Amino acid sequence: MENTKLGETTQEIKQIDTRATSVNIIGKVIHYAGIYAVALLFLLAGIILQSFGIINNFLTTQNMMNILDAVSMLGIVAVGMAFVTYSGHFADLSVPTTMALTGIIAVHMLQYGFLPAIIAAVMAGLLIGLINAVAVGKYKANPIIWTLAVNYVTLGVIRLVWVNKQIYPDMIAKTQRASDLFDSIYRLRFFNKIALPLVILIVLTFVLNFVMKRTKFGMQLKMTGSAQKAARFSGINTERIIGMAFIICALTATLAGLTITSLSRVGAWYNGTGYDFKAVTSIVIGGMTLAGGRGTIIGVLGGVLIIGLMNNIMTLLGVGTFSQDMIRGLIFILVVGINAKSLRSMGRDDA
Amino acid sequence: MSDEVIRSAESFGVALEMKSVSKQFVGTLAVDNVDFNVKAGEVHALIGENGAGKSTLMKMIAGSFDDYSGDIYINKKKIDLHTPAHAKKNGIEMIYQELSLAMPLSIAENVLIGRLPKKGLFLDREQIVNETKRCLEMVGLDHLDPMLQIEEISQHEGQLVEIAKALGNNPHILVMDEPTSALSREEVERLFSIIHNLKKSGLAIVYISHHLPEIFEVADRVTVLRDGKKIGTKGINEVTSGELVQMMVGKSVTEFYSHTSHTKKNKRLGVEELSRYGFFHNVSFSAYEGEILGICGLSGAGRSELARVLVGLDEKDSGKVFLDNKEIILKNMGQAVANGIIYLTENRNIEGLALRLDVKENILAGLIPELIKKGIYQEGEGIDKVNELIEELSIYPPDPSRIVGNLSGGNQQKVLLAKWMACEPRVMILDEPTRGVDIGAKMTIHQSIERLSGEGNTVILISSDLPELVSLSSRVLIMRKGKIIKEMAKEECTEESVLLAANGEGL
Repeated sequence: MENTKLGETTQEIKQIDTRATSVNIIGKVIHYAGIYAVALLFLLAGIILQSFGIINNFLTTQNMMNILDAVSMLGIVAVGMAFVTYSGHFADLSVPTTMALTGIIAVHMLQYGFLPAIIAAVMAGLLIGLINAVAVGKYKANPIIWTLAVNYVTLGVIRLVWVNKQIYPDMIAKTQRASDLFDSIYRLRFFNKIALPLVILIVLTFVLNFVMKRTKFGMQLKMTGSAQKAARFSGINTERIIGMAFIICALTATLAGLTITSLSRVGAWYNGTGYDFKAVTSIVIGGMTLAGGRGTIIGVLGGVLIIGLMNNIMTLLGVGTFSQDMIRGLIFILVVGINAKSLRSMGRDDA
Repeated sequence: MSDEVIRSAESFGVALEMKSVSKQFVGTLAVDNVDFNVKAGEVHALIGENGAGKSTLMKMIAGSFDDYSGDIYINKKKIDLHTPAHAKKNGIEMIYQELSLAMPLSIAENVLIGRLPKKGLFLDREQIVNETKRCLEMVGLDHLDPMLQIEEISQHEGQLVEIAKALGNNPHILVMDEPTSALSREEVERLFSIIHNLKKSGLAIVYISHHLPEIFEVADRVTVLRDGKKIGTKGINEVTSGELVQMMVGKSVTEFYSHTSHTKKNKRLGVEELSRYGFFHNVSFSAYEGEILGICGLSGAGRSELARVLVGLDEKDSGKVFLDNKEIILKNMGQAVANGIIYLTENRNIEGLALRLDVKENILAGLIPELIKKGIYQEGEGIDKVNELIEELSIYPPDPSRIVGNLSGGNQQKVLLAKWMACEPRVMILDEPTRGVDIGAKMTIHQSIERLSGEGNTVILISSDLPELVSLSSRVLIMRKGKIIKEMAKEECTEESVLLAANGEGL
C-alpha cells in the first residue's frame, strides 16, 4: 500500500522486534558452530560404529589422513565455486571439463617441460573463466544453462583434439624430471604425512576467506549476491564482480584439474566427472545458501569435511558407489529444503 | 450525446453497488467506508492521487480480497466477491494497466484462453477462428488474423485484444485501470469510441485514471477518493477540472510542511539538450548550489529515465551534462558517486536496498571503496557515521545490525536515504523519496532534505506527492511526454497549478 498514513505500525514493529532477535541467536549458532558440530557428529558416529565392531580402522591416524586426502581436491573446487554461489549465481557446471581440459593440456605440454605445462593449464583455465565471466557477468546469461553448455563444448574440444585418446605424462614428458615433478603434485608430502593438495586447500581456504570477508571485492560481492540490482544502483560494478567470481572458480578448478591428473597419471576427458555436484553439495551443506550473499568459506570447508567423513564411513560400511551417489543426492535435497524452510520461518525471504 | 447517455443509463438499472465497503491492511485503512455504484450503460470514473485507494477498491471488485467489510450487490443481489472466480462468475471483467497477454501465443489462444472450443479430443480450429473474430469485431479489430501472435501486433492492438478477451466472457461490468497509459492520441480516440459503443450496449464501465482531460471525454460520473475515503461523486457536467483537482489533493496535509526559500547561487549541474530516444528528448535545465529543484510529471513522462541517464545507469543518445561548468561523461553509477552525484531510486525493494543484509551493511554499501585501508575492509571506520545517520533520521529500532527487510517501510526508506547521505554527495537526485511512508517518517526525511540543501548541496526532487513537491521546491520543472514543457517559480506553484500543468493544461 502506498502512502501508509499516520501512526503506521507500533504493533507491527513489536512483531518485527522478536523476529529479528530470533534471527540473531539461531542464525549465529547455525552459521558459526552448526557445520562443525555436524562434522563432529559424523566423527562420533564413526567412533560408535567402530566401538560396536561394525566398522574397523576408522579412528586411526592413517584413516583420518585418508579422509583429508580424499576431500582435498573436492575442497579446492568447492572453495572456488563458493564464490559463484555467494554471488547469487548458484553453481559453475563447467568445472568437470575445466578440470579435464587443464589436466590434459598440462600432460600434452609436459614435452616442453614442467613449468610450460603448468602455465598452459592455468591459461586454459583462465580462458574458460573469462568466457563464463563475460557471458554471465556482462551479457547476463543464465549461469546454470551457460556453464552447462560450456561444459559440453569443452568436452567436445577435448575429444576432438585428442581424438578420444588418453595421454600419459610419463610417456609424453621428454625428461624424467618433468614427469617426476608432475607426479609429485599429488604425491609430495611434507613431514612424510601432509599431502601437497591438503596444504593447497588449507592455504586457499584462509586466503579466500579473507578475500570474501575483508576486501573491497568481497564486500561488493556480498552486496551483489544479496541484491544484485541494489548493488548496481549503489555504484558497484556488478558485471566485473560477478565475472571475478567465475574466474576464481575456474582457477581453483584448474588447480584441482592438475591434481586429479597427477593422481590418475593420465590426461583424459573423464577426469573431474561428478565434481560439479559434489562441490555444490558441500557448499550448501557448509551453510552457503543458493540465494547468494550468505555463508563463509570456512563453512564450506566444514561441508567438504562432512562429505569426506560420510564417504569414508559409507565405504567402510561397504555401501556401493551407486548407493553413495544416491545418498549424497538425497542429503543435498534435504539440506536445501531444511535451509529454505528455516530461513522462511525466521522471516527471511528465500533459500 | 449527453442526453442520450442519461436516457440509456436510466433505462438500465444499477449494475454494481458497493455499500460502506472497507479494507484494512496492517495498521492502515486503505479503503474507508466507501459507497460506490455503477449503472448499466454508464462510464463511472474513479480518480485520486497515488495511495488514495483506487487500486484497492478495484482489487476488491476483482475479488482479490476475502476479508473486506461492507456489502456488494450485483444487479440488486448481494454477492460475496471473495475470489477472482466469484468476480468472473458474476460477470465482472478487468483490464489492467499492463498487458496481461501471453506474447508467444496467438490472438485466438489469448482471447479464448480457458475456453478453447473442442471437437472430440481435438481443438475445433474453425470455431476458434469464428469465435475470436466475433470478439475482435466488438473492438473493431476484425481485420486481424486470429492466428497472429501477440508479438506481431502493435501495443495498441494488444490493448484492444485484451478488451476483446474480456468482452468474450459476456461481462456486464468492465473495470479499466489506466487503459490509455500506453496509447497515442489517435489510439485513445479509437478506444473512446469503442467505450462509447459498449456503453450503449448496456455495459457498466468503471474507468480508473488520473489523466483528467480523458475523464471529461469519456465519463458520465466521477468519484474522487482521497486517503481511502470517498470525497464525493459528481456528474461530469457539474464539475470543472479545477474542482476535481481540489477534491483530489485536499488541504489537510499542507500544514505539516515547513517553508524555506532558496536563492540562486552558483550553477552546480547543467543539462543541455539531453536525449534518450523513446524516453525523453532535448531536455535542458540547470540546478544551482543549495537549491531544491522539483520535477513533476505523470507516470511515463520520463522523469526517472532522465535521472538514470544523469547518474550513468543508462546511456544518453545525445546532449551534454556539466558539473560545476565542466562536462562530465558517466559510464556507470560508480563514476557518478565518485563525482558526488547520487540517485535515490523509486524502487526501494529491488533497486534500493539489500533486504537480507543489515542496516549497517546497507548504509555503507556505497562507501565500500572508501573504507578500504591497505587493502583490508575496515567496517569499524564507518560505524560512527552509521550511528550518526541512524540518529539524525531516527531510524527505529536504532540498531545497526537489524536486518533491513524486517524494518517497516518508513524506516527502510530512511535507511535508503542514509545510504546516500553517507556518501556526502553534492548533487542528490531523489526519486519519490517518501513514497509509501507514514507522515512521521516523511517529516524526518523532509527535514534532512532541507538540511542538505541548506548546506549548499543540490537536490533534484522527483515526486508525485504534490504537497511535498510544492512546499520543498524552489522551482518546479513540469515534464510531459519526455519533454520539459514548463518551469514554474515558487510563487506560481500550487498543487492545483502544478497538476494542471502536468496534465498539459493551463499553459
